[in-house]
Amino acid sequence: MTSPNNAPFAISARNLTLTLGDGDAAVEILRGIDLDVADGEVLALLGPSGSGKSSLMAVLSGLERATSGSLTVAGENFSVMNEDGLARARRGKIGIVLQAFHLLPTMTATENVATPMELAGAKDAAPRATAELEAVGLGHRLTHYPAQLSGGEQQRVALARAIAPRPQLIFADEPTGNLDVATGHDIIELMFARRAEAGATLVIITHDPELAARCDRIVTIADGLIATDSAAA
Amino acid sequence: MSETADTGGLGWATAWRIAKRDLNARFKGLRLLLVCLFLGTGALAAIGTLTAAIESELAGRGQELLGGDLEVEVWQRDLTGNERAALADIGEVSGGTRLQAMAVSGVNAAPVELKAVDGAWPLYGTLTLTDGRKVGAPAAGEAWLAQGAVDRLGIKVGDNFTIGGKPLVAAGIIGNEPDRLSEGFQLGPTVIVSEDMPGSVGLLAPGSMYQSKYRVAFKDARSPDAVEESLQERFPNAGFDYRTRDNASPGADRFVSRMGEFLTLVGLAALVIAGIGIGGGVSSYLEARRASIATLKVLGASSRDIVRIYGLQIGAAALVGSLLGLIAGFAVTPLLAAALQGLLPVESGFVFEPAALLIAAAYGLLVAMVFAATPLVRARKFPAMALMRARIAPLSRDGRALAWVGGGMAAIIALALLTARQPLLSGGFLAGAVVTLGLLALLGWGIRILAAKAPRPANPLWRNALANLHRPGAATGALVTALGFGLSAFVLLAAIQSSINGNIEQRVPREAPDYFVLDIPRDRVTAFEQLVAADQPDAFVRTVPSLRGAILAYGPKDAMITVADMEEIPDGAWPLRGERGLTYADDLPVGNRLVEGSWWGPFYEGEPLVSVDAEFAQAIDLKPGDYITVGLLGVERTARVANLRTIDWESMGFNYVLVFSPNAIRDAPHNLAATIDLPDGAETGPLLRQMVRNFPSSSVIEIGQVLAEARVILGQVGTATFAAASVAVLAGLAVLIGAIAAARAVRTYDTVVFRVLGASRRQVLLMQLAEYGLLAIILAVVALGLGTGLAWLVVVQLFEFEWLPNWAEILGVLGAGLLFVLLFAVAGSLPLLRAKPAQALRAL
Repeated sequence: MTSPNNAPFAISARNLTLTLGDGDAAVEILRGIDLDVADGEVLALLGPSGSGKSSLMAVLSGLERATSGSLTVAGENFSVMNEDGLARARRGKIGIVLQAFHLLPTMTATENVATPMELAGAKDAAPRATAELEAVGLGHRLTHYPAQLSGGEQQRVALARAIAPRPQLIFADEPTGNLDVATGHDIIELMFARRAEAGATLVIITHDPELAARCDRIVTIADGLIATDSAAA
Repeated sequence: MSETADTGGLGWATAWRIAKRDLNARFKGLRLLLVCLFLGTGALAAIGTLTAAIESELAGRGQELLGGDLEVEVWQRDLTGNERAALADIGEVSGGTRLQAMAVSGVNAAPVELKAVDGAWPLYGTLTLTDGRKVGAPAAGEAWLAQGAVDRLGIKVGDNFTIGGKPLVAAGIIGNEPDRLSEGFQLGPTVIVSEDMPGSVGLLAPGSMYQSKYRVAFKDARSPDAVEESLQERFPNAGFDYRTRDNASPGADRFVSRMGEFLTLVGLAALVIAGIGIGGGVSSYLEARRASIATLKVLGASSRDIVRIYGLQIGAAALVGSLLGLIAGFAVTPLLAAALQGLLPVESGFVFEPAALLIAAAYGLLVAMVFAATPLVRARKFPAMALMRARIAPLSRDGRALAWVGGGMAAIIALALLTARQPLLSGGFLAGAVVTLGLLALLGWGIRILAAKAPRPANPLWRNALANLHRPGAATGALVTALGFGLSAFVLLAAIQSSINGNIEQRVPREAPDYFVLDIPRDRVTAFEQLVAADQPDAFVRTVPSLRGAILAYGPKDAMITVADMEEIPDGAWPLRGERGLTYADDLPVGNRLVEGSWWGPFYEGEPLVSVDAEFAQAIDLKPGDYITVGLLGVERTARVANLRTIDWESMGFNYVLVFSPNAIRDAPHNLAATIDLPDGAETGPLLRQMVRNFPSSSVIEIGQVLAEARVILGQVGTATFAAASVAVLAGLAVLIGAIAAARAVRTYDTVVFRVLGASRRQVLLMQLAEYGLLAIILAVVALGLGTGLAWLVVVQLFEFEWLPNWAEILGVLGAGLLFVLLFAVAGSLPLLRAKPAQALRAL
């Protein structure tokens, strides 16, 4: 599958639905999403709280299985994979940055960054982790534990962890939501720089119009459906 | 959407690298598992090591313990020349006699166990005196005395005393008597004299109660069993009792075997209790790592990788806990051995028994696997999405755990059955444990259902307390199982311990006579009774004729079974082994009850008759009308079974399996035996002295002293049991703490929210008390029923004791357990209660 300019699609979704709960308690989160994201594209997902944007990101990144529909991500058919298959598909191909950092509290910064590469079977995980941490400006915090780092530093570690395996896709869910404005700005600069260097596709959830404006394309979600899909101004 | 199969995964080395990072060096979060395994494997290691050490001592030192390769015992006679010659053909022989006697020094008199030995004694081992001398038999006119005899007589080394009127010099105090254990339970302290001493003062007159013992040290390599068999064939009616070096002390062997079995069951109980703690501990640990597991999944870990990483962590903690337990079990063995000193032969110092340690480790790791498998396998389902949504509903059970739990349980059962001396007992215990756990799980489920259906209280605190019992994710099931099992174990142990104490304290002293007197000459019975009456007018004296003989054959007249030809003695037919006490009587003995046939009555002069204990008769299928032949001082006597009767063995009076009609055996040379019951508080010194002076060849056994000895032994056994039981109790306490701590972690959120909403500390405290109080009341009833039911099985069915529990003690122990539960549950919330709501919110 390719994009109109013949670049392959990093993401191709057709009629994706996601329903949580059973019977009377069932809630339709996604109600039929069609979305193609080109390789190397930077996409902003916008929408009010509860619109389904985080759930869409969870499905696109393989954290959650769609209830129905077809989905191909980085050349892998996510529609037919179980949870473990999705986990393996993420290895080395998808990096995820979350609002609350979610570093492993019992591991040092280096170990946190090395872990996904180790899970993917990389032999040189440690030096690559060190190099990535140095690249995000944390060369002096290699052996620090998350609890010994500031919020900004923790998010840099999370960013390094997502980028170090050189993934084809990076998903970021409100990466600055837990940070002050200045630190958030630094993180965004860093993220865009590292992404550009890696040449990865970036899908970023944000409430910040300024940040959205820096992306190639803006998709807004409302009530589980794509409301608008346009190139950034 | 269809699914593809799950293939590939993390290698063990990488899994371990990640596991190690996440594993706190001090095993934070896994300490309950560590403590539980430490206690369980420690107890089993100590019990196994101690039992194996004693058994190997009994087996390895057989020659020394027996004093020869083979021992031949016979009552009331010496060996004939022919019999001695037969023994001398086999090897070096050492002979002697054993009998009860009275030792006197001035105004002090002491019943003693007289052991007369020849110059060859001891054939194996060495007698060591307390002054360090290594000696053999004492010279004529001298004696080696046990410390107890010296104390009772008030003498010291070099002083004189008399036995049977013969002056003897106390030449030394016995330090270590090599064949002490094979002599069996003694009725007085030992006095060792030279071989000819008892005969020289008339203590071996015809009819006297003495035992001749001959030991042989084989001159060449022979099988003791083969030698025994050939002697049995050659002297079928000699009335010999045989012992071989391989079975030097059958009583001790049986005791160690039963005690070992019981203690192993106590250890297994500790481990099962510990298992519940392990399950709870692993559950809490993985619950606390929900976020980490989800993060690892976000980073690409599959569910199999999660099982590997956390399985390795739990395995490492289990290994460390087990290893520490093994070290502790190994280290405490010398202390347990010291507690059993004198009762059983135990090597002093550290004993290394690899098999015992391996079995304990295997039990520990298997129990860890069985109880950790369910939470571990469930953790594989923690979704990556847990990071992005608040707590997700409880996970469903995973059938994959069943394979691990089932496999582990099968391995535990196989291990228990393969290593048990009584597989049925061990199997029954394990089945009981599984049923108990099942019942408790069912109860937990029932409580949840009831709590869900109960009407909602108007008060929000009570409503929340009730809701805590059934809401999604409620720990009610785990709490009921852990607390129920722990509290039941407390009740069980208290009921067993108090029941055994009750049997010792209440029954024995109440019914036992004060003295047994042996070897009262037949023609002086009246003089004896008069002597007692003159000194103690209120004393009750009962005399019976006393003979000894072996049952040689029994059964219908034309098809009698010869005991010597039997390959195996049936269960319950112990009177067929060796010589037994025999008596005759005109009337049915006091305390006996006729159950079949009729009594012969006074002045009976017809066909010789015998009355037989009904239990024994049942064991050998003997009926009235059958015949019994006994060997009495080398002469065979046959009598027809006239009746069967039941005996109250616990009365500790004269109880005989065989009671003959007087005309059957009264012509054999014999003396009488007597029991004397004194009024409470009677002074016994003057009576003892009178008896010694007037009946020098008679011996007195002081029951008070014997019971004191027995109490010391039972006390030592009790110490060993208590030590093992306290491990079970400690494991139970650890489980209680773990279960409450795990439940408390869930409650913390509620507590904080209630505080933010304006609940006072008192109200929150009351809410906790209401929830745990409700559980405690239900569990108290369950624990009382389960614990006492199981204790009844152990006391009545296993030990065959009377059911005499001390209810005050049991309720006290249960009350203390409940109080502990409530206090711990409440104490855990105090830090949160003390904090201001804003602080508490930050602590979440």
